[in-house]
Amino acid sequence: MYDVVIIGAGPAGLSAAIACRESNLHVLVIDEFPKPGGRLLGQLHQEPTGEWWNGIEETKILMDKATTLNTEIKCGISAHHIEKTDHGYSVHTNEGVFESENLLIATGAAETAVPIPGWTLPGVMSIGAAQVMTNVHRVRVGNKGVVVGVNVLSAAIARELQLAGVELHSMALPASNPVTKNHANPRKVMEGLVRIAHLAPSAFIRFGSKFAKAEWVRNIAVSFYPKGGVKMWGMPIHIRKAIVQINGTEKVESVTMCDITADGEIVKGSEKIIEVDFVCIAGGLYPLAELASVIGCPFQYVEELGGHVPVHNEQMETPLEGLFVAGNITGIESAKVARAQGTLAGLSIVKQKLRDHKDINAKIQQAVANVQAVRDAASIQFHPGIDEGRKKIESAFEEYKIS
Amino acid sequence: MDKLIICRCEEVSLEDIENTANKYSCSARELKLRTRAGMGYCGGRTCRPAVDAVLEEVTGEKPGNDIPLKVQPPVRPVSLSVLGGKKR
Repeated sequence: MYDVVIIGAGPAGLSAAIACRESNLHVLVIDEFPKPGGRLLGQLHQEPTGEWWNGIEETKILMDKATTLNTEIKCGISAHHIEKTDHGYSVHTNEGVFESENLLIATGAAETAVPIPGWTLPGVMSIGAAQVMTNVHRVRVGNKGVVVGVNVLSAAIARELQLAGVELHSMALPASNPVTKNHANPRKVMEGLVRIAHLAPSAFIRFGSKFAKAEWVRNIAVSFYPKGGVKMWGMPIHIRKAIVQINGTEKVESVTMCDITADGEIVKGSEKIIEVDFVCIAGGLYPLAELASVIGCPFQYVEELGGHVPVHNEQMETPLEGLFVAGNITGIESAKVARAQGTLAGLSIVKQKLRDHKDINAKIQQAVANVQAVRDAASIQFHPGIDEGRKKIESAFEEYKIS
Repeated sequence: MDKLIICRCEEVSLEDIENTANKYSCSARELKLRTRAGMGYCGGRTCRPAVDAVLEEVTGEKPGNDIPLKVQPPVRPVSLSVLGGKKR
């Protein structure tokens, strides 16, 4: 019987494990990837300060700490079901069942697929898959590609591909359909890019400063967007061109690109064939919450947090006794926020286990404040209304407790 | 233009989903059962948000607080032996 089983060895899960081991709890961390670090492993970008954020180095720091504290971490294990028992939780995995008094679900996020015609061909991948292949497995994803979907995540990863010497023709929007609509609307995409310009790495600042924040300027910017795209790191970013079809018989051979109006309508007769051998599709992220759902944890739909999120309070407790959440399952934010949330969840678990543990309340308060401080200073923000989203989920927790 | 596939495991197209949703004014669950969208090998991990988006478009309603398609264990593909059969 473990004091806590932690599902997910990313920044949240590892930080929580460290906090629990520092109070000598009996901890097991499991992760389905062959090595620990989660999506942190793939991250490599320049901060607005000019410093580089290297996910492999950040993972190593966490792993060194966890190892010094003799933390039990099993990788390559998938949890496929969780049951509530009289004394805690049974975690069913492909390597057997683990019993635990408490449970932390830190499963992160999954990528939203953006279906466009031809997206099932070999050579089409999500932008996150390209990131993992490039930065984690060191595999070249192809010789020349395009990125479909223009947002903060895809721009950051496109840069990583460039740094790895992979040629990208350009970034463009997906053709509009009921699933892609928000990603396919130039005005919405422009809004998103301008909003992040002040936070994000240097090339974004240059990108953003070309288009002032006033709505009328943005409208003009969308209407008179340069035909050749706006270059970032030497690569054209098109928000007035869309990929309408991915072509190929056995695998990707080319894409069909069209001009689009400021509202995302395709301009007839503007089709151009561009030869590429891979395509990265970027549709954003949503909280990966299946395991919280199978145990019956209540959910709340909060758009600002990326979708359906398990109800939880600011100490990372859910309404189910002994069930905690941390990291992107609680809302899409940066790895730094996930790490701070992990420490906080770990301390909350320590409190749950060792009720009269001295100074724990002060430590938890400090950790809550730290999560907010890290959030306020975040250089990458995926959703603009993150603070409002957080408030919604906390009031949902309060309501749940009352009812 | 080719059919736009939404659920790649079960090869369900956008057209199939839209037609079914319009014809039966379905809930997400009914739509899944009628078309098999989201019932393939990946357990809906790839197409779930896409199916939700099509429904949102057809019904004009934002998703509620409950997850539209109930999540069923096993949430990862596992061999039958893992679920209780004899291991070889």
